[in-house]
Amino acid sequence: MIPTDPIERTTLAGEYVLGTLDARTAAAVRAAIETDMALRQEVEAWEHRLAPLADGIAPAEPPPDLLARIDAALDARAAAPRTVVPLARPSRAGLLWKGWAAGATALAAGLAAFLILRPAPEEPRYVAVLQQDRAAPAWVVEASPSRGIVLAGAVNPRPVDEGRVLQLWGLAPGATAPVSLGLVPPDGRLEVDPRVLPPQEGMLVEISLEPLGGSPIGRPTGPVLYIGRLARVD
Amino acid sequence: MADAGMATRDLTGILAAIAQGDRSALRDLYAAEAARLFGVCLRILRDRAAAADATQDTFLRIWDRADRFDPARGAARAWLAAVARHVALDLARARGRELPSDDPDLGDVPVEDDPAALLDATADATRLRACLEILEEKNRRSILLAFVDGLSHAQIAARLETPLGTVKAWIRRGLASLKECLAS
Repeated sequence: MIPTDPIERTTLAGEYVLGTLDARTAAAVRAAIETDMALRQEVEAWEHRLAPLADGIAPAEPPPDLLARIDAALDARAAAPRTVVPLARPSRAGLLWKGWAAGATALAAGLAAFLILRPAPEEPRYVAVLQQDRAAPAWVVEASPSRGIVLAGAVNPRPVDEGRVLQLWGLAPGATAPVSLGLVPPDGRLEVDPRVLPPQEGMLVEISLEPLGGSPIGRPTGPVLYIGRLARVD
Repeated sequence: MADAGMATRDLTGILAAIAQGDRSALRDLYAAEAARLFGVCLRILRDRAAAADATQDTFLRIWDRADRFDPARGAARAWLAAVARHVALDLARARGRELPSDDPDLGDVPVEDDPAALLDATADATRLRACLEILEEKNRRSILLAFVDGLSHAQIAARLETPLGTVKAWIRRGLASLKECLAS
């Protein structure tokens, strides 16, 4: 997907910075610049070239409650560390996983049994653990651009209430509405075609409790039981 | 707690503190940059509620990624604006980049006419303006509509009443000329 011709790569980087690429191609560039340092430099060069244009945009007064909303969002995260296995970002792990190290270690050990994806060697790979608290079951998610998002099963699974189903959702960074990734089958494994929602770093993946047949309105109606964020595994 | 020194810290110092998990530094950043970043998001999304969501996500992303900011590779102001632009563009894509009308009675903020006129007087801005001015008008206008207003190829094509493939070619040619001019 990422070209090898130097002129095409420069153009692609420029179009990425301009923002004219479609969502799928933009996500591919975003994933590629995590490992393709030359492409990343092209992107940074375009950011630098065009930055003065962003400086020229008129500032505007944000809603008065916005700072409080941001604070609340960060508080909510701190109260329920619902993120990911700290494989990808050890430098941040201390912050994200304060008070959670023992659980994470046990979980990471359990995780090894679930790593099933064998993506192309050059391809980025993502992992998330979806959970609500340490005592509850945790779900393991793996993803790569070619395979899409794969729900690999639950650690310490628990039966679902009679007459209800679990539904998997994905929310791309910056998106406002989650996308349904399907109903979770009894064996807890679900593969999602990458065309439904291409995985990307930082994507929220969650499982909600829904009536039989799944949410009738295309977004979660029941409680979100498990939630986590895709982190890149290097 | 914000002390007197904190209020005067430069953006690079604030980002370094945020990378250490300093919540008061994030509030300092908000005080210094929220209006500018909200302006960037509003220009792309042309909807105050969506722009507020995007600005919130921008600050959360800055919180998560401040440790990736490298002052050796670019200015903090540009990095912050780039984060906001990409968050807003992702949101615009998720909304299907429906074409907002320019009718203010419908709640959409009209696209302003010539964003290049807003370029300030810094040296980089002066060079960029000079290089934009020598582009063909159609190439220049397409690039500005994409970068500043967050319009997709298809939206620019509709706006300029030009076939999609032609607009893509204009932008590519414009980018190539711009790169060459700025390098000289």
